[in-house]
Amino acid sequence: MATLRDSKLKRAAQWADVRGRGLGMWAYALNRLTGIGLVVYLYLHLAVLSQLAQGPSAWDGFVRLAKTRLFLTLDVILLAGLLIHGLNGLRVTLNGFGIGVRSQKTLFIVLMSLSAIAWVVGTVMIYGK
Amino acid sequence: MPTANTLSNRPASDSATVPRASASWLWQAVTGIGLIILASLHMIAHHFVAEGGLRDYAGVVDYLRNPLIIVLEVLFLITVTAHALLGARAILFDFGLSEAAEKRVTQALWMLGTLTVGYGLWLTWTITRNG
Repeated sequence: MATLRDSKLKRAAQWADVRGRGLGMWAYALNRLTGIGLVVYLYLHLAVLSQLAQGPSAWDGFVRLAKTRLFLTLDVILLAGLLIHGLNGLRVTLNGFGIGVRSQKTLFIVLMSLSAIAWVVGTVMIYGK
Repeated sequence: MPTANTLSNRPASDSATVPRASASWLWQAVTGIGLIILASLHMIAHHFVAEGGLRDYAGVVDYLRNPLIIVLEVLFLITVTAHALLGARAILFDFGLSEAAEKRVTQALWMLGTLTVGYGLWLTWTITRNG
């Protein structure tokens, strides 16, 4: 029973082991890792929004906290996750529909470069607020 | 091992022979494309356009006075919830679950998704009513 459970866990976690694997598995793992992070963020975000139901003092108190450097850094991390997952996901979708399959590695590199540029611009805007 | 030799997330078995998996993948793709637009609008409206990077309570109430904004925010909520839970489902299915367990996971995620969207609608209604 324990062995069966171990093998299922191993199988489920196989995607995260990118050691010695090509760019394809890195892209796949990156998409899943950012996806898991964004699901966790979604529910944290919804929990935080519950303060809006408690009225102005609760929400405005949170807004003051959210403008601190620590929270802005979390926003910058969130932006990176959104850009990587969004643009990598777009490539996955295009490839899934048979578009750009032959040039998928180039597409991955181009879209991740675009992510990096957009992330730098976004980071400057977030810290500049 | 899923998609070991491709950059695509689409499972190798995800073909016409497995229509259920195909439908899930298609929904994941459709909601994903929708999210590129909706999440961009959400991020721009809430973090880049809003003064100071985030709206205060009065600002949120004022923002939600526009019915088009409410439609877009609700659409965003439904799309992001569906996309997130379909992704979680795909990861959970990688554990090699039995057919019965897969069915239970799908039911549980449907329930979670319904609760999530219900909570979001309640919150939107509460804010607009109080405002």
